[in-house]
Amino acid sequence: MLSLSKSLYWYSLAASALVAGAAIPTHARASDTLELSAILETQTALGFKQGDLQKNEFIFKPELGFDFGSSSRFTLIGRIRGDSQGRLEPGRPPGINRAAFSGRVFAGDHLEAEILEAYIDTDIGNTFLRIGKQQIVWGQADGLKVLDILNPQSFREFILPEFEDSRIALWAVNAEIPVGEALLQLIWIPDTTYDDIPEQGAAFAFTSPLVVPQAPIGVPVNFRPLDKPSNAFTDSDVGVKLSAFLGGWDVSLNYAYHYVDRPVVRRSVSDAGITITQNYERSHLVGGTAATVFGDFALRAEIGYSTNRFFRTSDQADADGVVRANEFSYVVGLDYSGFTDWFLSAQVFQSRISNFQPGIVRAKTDTSLTFLIRRNFMNETLSAEALVIQSVADNDGLLQLAMSYQWSSNVRLKAGADFFYGSSYGLFGQFRDRDRVTLGIEVSF
Amino acid sequence: MIQPSSRAEAFFTALTNWPKTLLILSLLSIAAIGSFVPQLHKDTSADAFIADDDPVLIYREQVRETFGLEDPIVIAVINDGKTGVFNPGSLHLVQVLTDAVSKLGNVDPDKVTSLSTESNIVGTNDGMEVTEFYDPYPNTQARADAIKAAIADFPLYQGALVARDGTATLIVVELIDQGTSEATYQEIMDIIAATPKADGDEVHVAGVGAIAGYLATYIDNDAKTLNPLAGLIITVVLFVAFRTLGGMLLPNLIVIGTVAAALGSMAAFGVSFFVITNGLATILIGIAVADSIHILSQFYEERVRMPDAGKQEIAVRTMVKMWKPVTLTSVTTVAGFMGLWFGAEMPPMKYFGLFAAVGVSAAWFYSMTILPAALTLFKLKPSKLFTGKNTNDRYGRAMTRIGKAAMASPKFTIAFSLMVATVGIIGTSKVIVQEQQIENFQTDEPLYIADGAINKRMDGTYFLDIAIETKDAEALYQPRHLKRIEALQKFVEAIPAVNGSTSVVDYIKQMHKAVNENRDEFYTIPEDPDLVAQLFFLYSVSGDPTDFEEEIDYDYRLANVRFNLPTADYVLLTKIMPQIQTYVDTEFNTGEITANLSGRVAVNHKWLKTISLNHTKSLGLSLLFVFIAAIIVFRSFVAGLFSLIPVAMALLLVYAVMGFSGIWLGVGTSMFAAIAIGLGIDFAIHTLDRMKELIATRTGSYDERMVDLFPSTGRALFFNFAALGLGFAVLMTSEVPPLIRFGGLVVTAVTASFIAGLTILPTLGKLLKPAFLFADEDGAPVGKPVGAAVGTVAAMAVAGWIVLADTAEAADLSDADAIIAAINARDDGEWATRNLKMELIDRRGKIRKRDTIGYRRYFGAEKRTVLYYTGPSSVKGTGFLTYDYPEADRDDDQWLYLPALRKIRRISASDRGDYFLGTDLSFEDIKKESKVAAEDYTFKTIGNETVDGFETVVIEGTPKTEKIAKELGYSRVLWRIDPSIMMSRKAEMWDTNGNHLKTVLNSDIREIGGIWTTHSIRVENHKTGHKTNFIFSNVDYATEVKAKVFEKRSLKRSR
Repeated sequence: MLSLSKSLYWYSLAASALVAGAAIPTHARASDTLELSAILETQTALGFKQGDLQKNEFIFKPELGFDFGSSSRFTLIGRIRGDSQGRLEPGRPPGINRAAFSGRVFAGDHLEAEILEAYIDTDIGNTFLRIGKQQIVWGQADGLKVLDILNPQSFREFILPEFEDSRIALWAVNAEIPVGEALLQLIWIPDTTYDDIPEQGAAFAFTSPLVVPQAPIGVPVNFRPLDKPSNAFTDSDVGVKLSAFLGGWDVSLNYAYHYVDRPVVRRSVSDAGITITQNYERSHLVGGTAATVFGDFALRAEIGYSTNRFFRTSDQADADGVVRANEFSYVVGLDYSGFTDWFLSAQVFQSRISNFQPGIVRAKTDTSLTFLIRRNFMNETLSAEALVIQSVADNDGLLQLAMSYQWSSNVRLKAGADFFYGSSYGLFGQFRDRDRVTLGIEVSF
Repeated sequence: MIQPSSRAEAFFTALTNWPKTLLILSLLSIAAIGSFVPQLHKDTSADAFIADDDPVLIYREQVRETFGLEDPIVIAVINDGKTGVFNPGSLHLVQVLTDAVSKLGNVDPDKVTSLSTESNIVGTNDGMEVTEFYDPYPNTQARADAIKAAIADFPLYQGALVARDGTATLIVVELIDQGTSEATYQEIMDIIAATPKADGDEVHVAGVGAIAGYLATYIDNDAKTLNPLAGLIITVVLFVAFRTLGGMLLPNLIVIGTVAAALGSMAAFGVSFFVITNGLATILIGIAVADSIHILSQFYEERVRMPDAGKQEIAVRTMVKMWKPVTLTSVTTVAGFMGLWFGAEMPPMKYFGLFAAVGVSAAWFYSMTILPAALTLFKLKPSKLFTGKNTNDRYGRAMTRIGKAAMASPKFTIAFSLMVATVGIIGTSKVIVQEQQIENFQTDEPLYIADGAINKRMDGTYFLDIAIETKDAEALYQPRHLKRIEALQKFVEAIPAVNGSTSVVDYIKQMHKAVNENRDEFYTIPEDPDLVAQLFFLYSVSGDPTDFEEEIDYDYRLANVRFNLPTADYVLLTKIMPQIQTYVDTEFNTGEITANLSGRVAVNHKWLKTISLNHTKSLGLSLLFVFIAAIIVFRSFVAGLFSLIPVAMALLLVYAVMGFSGIWLGVGTSMFAAIAIGLGIDFAIHTLDRMKELIATRTGSYDERMVDLFPSTGRALFFNFAALGLGFAVLMTSEVPPLIRFGGLVVTAVTASFIAGLTILPTLGKLLKPAFLFADEDGAPVGKPVGAAVGTVAAMAVAGWIVLADTAEAADLSDADAIIAAINARDDGEWATRNLKMELIDRRGKIRKRDTIGYRRYFGAEKRTVLYYTGPSSVKGTGFLTYDYPEADRDDDQWLYLPALRKIRRISASDRGDYFLGTDLSFEDIKKESKVAAEDYTFKTIGNETVDGFETVVIEGTPKTEKIAKELGYSRVLWRIDPSIMMSRKAEMWDTNGNHLKTVLNSDIREIGGIWTTHSIRVENHKTGHKTNFIFSNVDYATEVKAKVFEKRSLKRSR
């Protein structure tokens, strides 16, 4: 399985190179439009509690792009990442959540390479097509997900990195077709890749009983292998979005039929002990977004209803330890930029479960709040921001402080600190011992 | 005990569950607001006291620009010897000083006037000759005598340049930048000290330029050292009150938060730091500490009461008891300061009121959050002073004695209070409304002495300018106009306070006399306009044509008449200014010639005029607001009246002190009433709230129930009073009279409110037994809030009437509109593509580069633009899309695509004055490209100028309203329009404080496909020192830019 995935991976990489190679000589103008650039970045994180390095990474991100044909462009973005510490993903992660042609390549325990994105943009009449490995982002919220479910996410550093860096791009076909004043987006995702969830023992491995089943001490636990969909056709995801700009409002209607990117963890009890099985379940998601501005305020909202979700229950009588329910959730955000150089933003997120039962470990209505303050200094050379995410139900949260200084046109210095607080029961509180300061340099070429 | 206030308890318990988070967030918020403080702009000028758009200020600006007249610094050489200053030694000294002063950086050498620079007009056989007084150089007594004779024959200079008795002569020095006049004053003083003087020569320096600049720094410097000292003294008071480290440090933390909030928000809203803002800091320190004192006192009491309780429990109990009085006092204090905001006319005072209110709110907020969090988080050492059920130290006992004494013989207390009030009323009637800047200096200050010495000998160093305006060029050759001016001079000079005047008419008469063999009967205005023109021509042949530029403009359309006054105090000005204005209105102005009063004297009169009204209005409103707030918080009309008693006593005492000690009700002192109300009301509210509580929760007679009032609340109030009183008493050690008065009067006010609050209120409660005090008592009938409601409504109506009883004034002027219309009609192509390279250069010269490609297309009258970053890689892919609608009142729609988010983000577009993506141009500048938003400005052509060798017309744009000015960030823009291409080659912008903000240079303007296009824009921000270069290339108006480029979805693809 693993070796197959690897060979397929190299195959796809070679295929991309072939496309690139084939395209360059046939069109003389391609070389004029050829753009090669790269970003080299270091990221170091020092844990407070342990007082040692949580990570010490370098990231090299080359990007290649060129035009071919009359209106087509090829883009390839890769990433080579090394971490001297290897605590975020100790050893080599098995990668069984990834589709065969979407994996990562490892060289030793500390170095990995991955194609981040590889796609062709083209126009057919008024229709815009993007085919290849890409990120497709829905929704209006920052840092919270209601509709942004098309791409899975890597949780190797929980939700601390920017979503752009933690979102896993998927091989997909994305078409945008103007329909009158509106725009219809059709998406087909044959890539059966799901969330990267850190193994037990990793720095940001989940321990909260909200997401991890807890077995009574002394009872043998038997893990079944992860059951992942793998058929590129029958297991593919589809999405449709209709968006428009109406009377000053940006609005959209969204629908997706997709596999939820996090596995459903079921337990069954027998004489031999507890058996844990994990598989992925399909869901229908219907939703919409709206955004507009009033004076200095920008209002953003997204709303979604998804079926066939599974929630952990602590009810020992329950057969498989999960309860099936539908989930209704929304985010409303308000941004204020009335003070020069300041950006203030607040969001409310709520999710409500339809078929709530007493044993379900999360609250029936789950509320989270986020507050973001950003300030630019010295003609936007220096920026400082503070982000608080507070979970109301679990009374825990996260405070992220970040500073970034544009030292020269292509060198940026970054520093930050992440604080988790609240009880270890909560999603954020489980990392209360992972508070850290981060430092980094980013050089672009 | 206190009634269980479950909601408050739940609230503070929830709050103190997260003490660390709360503290971190509070500290972050303090840091965030505080980070604005360095941007605070200092404006210590006297002009700051008038609204920017006041006509007087506009005319003064015009006079200043047309005639180059500034507030001068005046150097006087005085010699009381037999020949006066007409001796070789004194005249040489004038020459030496004139030369030395002319070399100073902030001095315009062409605008230094003295005997050694001025010219004499004498008749010759073939007309007249203009020669310098110092030619030949007066190195003998005979030559000095000749100058004396020449002056005697030249009435214009008598009294203005040379004392009429010959004992003094002036060197009048005009400054380039009034803002640094204090430094220039010091430099001049140094030059004088270093220059050797002959026997009998004395040198003095005065003048409005020196006074205004020096006064501001004089006060400012003193306040800068005294404010921290006040903080220190208050900390000592805290030590005496609590004797614990926490008790000293925590209130100081609140103080920092409070001051940061007030000054930070001032900076954020672009409000300047004025001279009087110094007082704001002191007041806020006092108020912030007062809140803490009450809460900490309660905390220590609770601790003694429940020695076994946890930190959080004690903190919560403390807050449950104290949130109400602290909130009530904050509400009423805010109300008091809002009265100042609504009532005051002068911007510095208005803002003083507003930001004092902001500060008080911040003090309240931090007291409600930081204090309970800190009390929960940190283990505060117990205070040794709080031992028993009540604090039984000497302060508590002293308060008990005072209170008991007052209540023991209530009728005596009331009678005594009435007596004090009567004295106050008598004192109030003696208060004089008066203001004179020079009186703000110590009488032994050299500037004060100089002002007296010079104004005794000369016609005066205070100037009233009257700007004369005619319709056509060269109209001022007309004898009928000149005679009108002559008559005006005669009328004004006849007013006893005015000593002399200078105008172009004086020069014409002198020249007329000169060409007629110096015969005195020809010291008249010629009857023939041609002769007047010839006189000017003759002068220009032998004299310097710029000699008249202070009196008349270059096309003989505008003139300035300058009157000299030896003093310019408020009482005098209120007497003479209306007289002059009436003359101008009824006798002078006609359809073809008009006059406007200007100059420092007119400006001063304008703002001094408002003092009295200002004071009454802000006093009335403050009282009303406090009254309303008190009615609302106690839900009782009578309680509102009760609350006003200590405040009224404080006011009456302040007036009494002013009346009996001869302190004027002037600019600074007119604010005391509002401040005294804001500070004094706290004592009343704390006392009344505690009285209510004691009546509700205790049993026994009235006196028995009141027993605990004095040792606990009384003691806390005492330290509240001590902190405020001593903090302000520090100001009385100042060298500067205004600060001494400020300190003294506030101490008086606070003392009076404190004593009145602690004695009169309990006594009156005992005598009158008002219903509101007993409202919470068991079995008391439910109060009827009708009286309160009626009272509130009535008071609000009065407040509304006072606020709204304002009238507005308007201005006119227009004739550059055609040029602006032509600029805006200029074809700039239906679509355009161009590369734009931006170089952002910081103060130290470090360069950041940005490469972009931009597209623009008109969709009918709607303009859409999109800009993509193509380099460097870190920002590559960022896209910025704008839909700019033709309707003036419709905001743009804007979207930003950040590759890091992968999302198209809607952004608000209303901040057109914000800087565009880190450059020095604003969003508005970028959007308008080479055009101008005609609807935002009033335009005026003010002259011609050559820019890069091109002739341009200088057009001045003034934002139509203050709101527009705020939005744009400009109070004034000067464009140099090249009429051959209808484009600006150079523009300058001034910020809303009137400071020079930016210079924008457009160069490399070439025709592309028949459209004039600028290829280089250089912007320099004078405030930050930051520069931006915009370099355009590959500009293409021919290739169609497809409509879909401007669709949102294209943003994601950078194309």
